Amino acid sequence: MTMFNRTDNKPNETAPATTVPPPGAATYTATPEVKKPQAVAQPIMSAAPAATGGVSVISKALKITGQLESTEDIRIDGEVNGDVRAVSVTVGNNAKVKGNVYGDTVELAGTVEGKIEAKKVVLGGTARMTGDVVHQDIRIESGAFIDGHLKPEFGKTTSKTNGAGHA
Amino acid sequence: MSAAPPKSVFAKPQNGNGTVLPVSNLGKAIRVNGDLETDGELHIQGCVTGRINAGTLVIAGDGYVEGDVVARDVRVDGRLNGRIFAVNVTLAKSADVSGRVFHNSVTVEQGARIDARMPWRPPSYFETLDQLPETKS
Repeated sequence: MTMFNRTDNKPNETAPATTVPPPGAATYTATPEVKKPQAVAQPIMSAAPAATGGVSVISKALKITGQLESTEDIRIDGEVNGDVRAVSVTVGNNAKVKGNVYGDTVELAGTVEGKIEAKKVVLGGTARMTGDVVHQDIRIESGAFIDGHLKPEFGKTTSKTNGAGHA
Repeated sequence: MSAAPPKSVFAKPQNGNGTVLPVSNLGKAIRVNGDLETDGELHIQGCVTGRINAGTLVIAGDGYVEGDVVARDVRVDGRLNGRIFAVNVTLAKSADVSGRVFHNSVTVEQGARIDARMPWRPPSYFETLDQLPETKS
């Protein structure tokens, strides 16, 4: 009948419900768990799972108005109204960029209205390019639409960053 | 999730076919100067100056945002200077927020650095957010 019966031969079972916390630490940390917020909101999951290194992905649902600049790679599947500057820029199938695209490598499968300035340019079969392409090395697949000039002048006259080699 | 009216800024992260929209990720090295708009999920590890409109927004530990944020859910692990308008706000322990946090439900972890007013608003306030003059771009 008595809960705290010392005469019982099983000492572990004496007080199962009310385990006394060690004096000090446990009582302080335990309290917040007891009274959970009544609000239906559950905290958003941590940022970790979708963090795929440094690669930036503009998904098809995202629309950006403004400049975009990165010292790493950018993949665009959505819509960008503004200039894009990165090491490697990939413009996906249904993506649209209104503005200039600068990079070391630019791969285009979607639409660009503006200028492309890159060392290596790949225009895929679904690419729609309205504007000039300044390149050093270009590949164009069958089916690509181009309305503009192709100039193999990257790093020669137009680039402000690379003035070396030109007196 | 409760059924929100389709015209709300807090559209569910789905398109017409019912498929879940992919997550957008702005990596560490990125700098964006301008506005971002998505119905889906957006993770920011880089630096964004401008207005953000999203379904779910996560500002990662390295992320920095300067400007107004309108979203259904917002989690901040990084830094934010500006205003948050969100039904559910989570400020993690590494967060550094200054400005205002308009919320219906807020969670603040111990250690978060907050220099902000945090006004509570009823859920209806967030339904009509896009019509409010103060949140118009």
